[in-house]
Amino acid sequence: MSARGALRGIGGATVALFAALAFTPLSNRLHGVLFPPAGPPGPAAAIVVLGSGIDHGVLSDSSLRRALAGVVLFRQRSAPLLVMLGPASGGQLSEAAVRVRLAQDLGVPTTALVADPRGLTTRDEARVSWEDLAPRGMRRILLVTASEHMPRAAALFRRVGFEVVEAPVEELSSHDGRPQVRLELARVLLRELLARAYHRAAGYL
Amino acid sequence: MDATFILVVVGLSSLAAALVARGHSRRRLRSAVGKTLETIGLAAVFLFLNIGVGFCLALLARVVGGRFVSLYHSDDVTILAVSVLQALVFQWSREPEASAGP
Repeated sequence: MSARGALRGIGGATVALFAALAFTPLSNRLHGVLFPPAGPPGPAAAIVVLGSGIDHGVLSDSSLRRALAGVVLFRQRSAPLLVMLGPASGGQLSEAAVRVRLAQDLGVPTTALVADPRGLTTRDEARVSWEDLAPRGMRRILLVTASEHMPRAAALFRRVGFEVVEAPVEELSSHDGRPQVRLELARVLLRELLARAYHRAAGYL
Repeated sequence: MDATFILVVVGLSSLAAALVARGHSRRRLRSAVGKTLETIGLAAVFLFLNIGVGFCLALLARVVGGRFVSLYHSDDVTILAVSVLQALVFQWSREPEASAGP
C-alpha cells in the first residue's frame, strides 16, 4: 500500500472513531463498564484525599470536588482524621494547604486535619500517606479520588500496606449525551488505560 | 438530542455547500475527500508522535535531570490543534507549487 493509501486509511479510521465516540453512547457504555458506580463507603481510621492540581493558589475543579467529598465524608463521621494531599505550584501555597484551609472554613477542626504536600505522583502519595498514618496505627483508610483514577490509586495504596475503602468522586457523568462530554470521557478513559499500562510495565502495579 | 442536533446542523450546511458547488464533478469531490482523509491521517500520526515524544522527554527529565516532570503535560487539547497544524503544513509542502499567473 502506498503512503497516501495508508494515510487515507488512518484518516478514515480516525473519522470513524471520532464519530463513534462523539455521536454514539460508546464512551458512556465503556465508562459504565470499566468504572461501575461504587456503593456507600464504610467507616475507616482516616480519609485520604488525593491531589489533582492547583495553579497559583487556585484549586482545579477536580481538586475542589475531591476536597469537598473528603469534607462531606468527615462530616458524616466516616473517619476521625482528614488527610489532604497535593503539592505546591508556582511558588504559592500547596494544594494540601489550600484544601486544609477550605476544610477549616467548612467546620472541620484543625486537630482533625493533616496536610501533606510531598506527593508528586499517586505512588508518592501512597508512600507519604503511609509515613503519616502507619505510626498512628491507621491502616484502614477511605480513599478519595476520581472514579477513573480509583482502581490504580487503590492498588498503589494497598501495595504500601493500607486496607483501602474506596470513595470515588464522579468528576464526569457517564450518562451525559453531549458529544463534547463523550469525547472528554473517551480522553479520560484512554489516559487512565495508558497510565495503568505504564504502571504495569514499570512494575508499580 | 445534542448529538442529533449537531448532526442535523452539519447535514444542512453540507447540503447547502453541495448545492453551491453542484457544478463541480463527482470525481473532484472524491479527490477532495481523499485529500482530507490524508490530512486527518497525518494529523493522527503527528498526534501520536507528539504524545510519544512528550512521554519520552518527561521520563528523560526524571531519569537524567533528576527533576519531576508530569507525564500528564502531553494531556492537553492544544496538542491536538498543533498536530492538525503540523499535518496541514506537511500536506501543503507535498503539493506541487501552483504555476505562476501571466
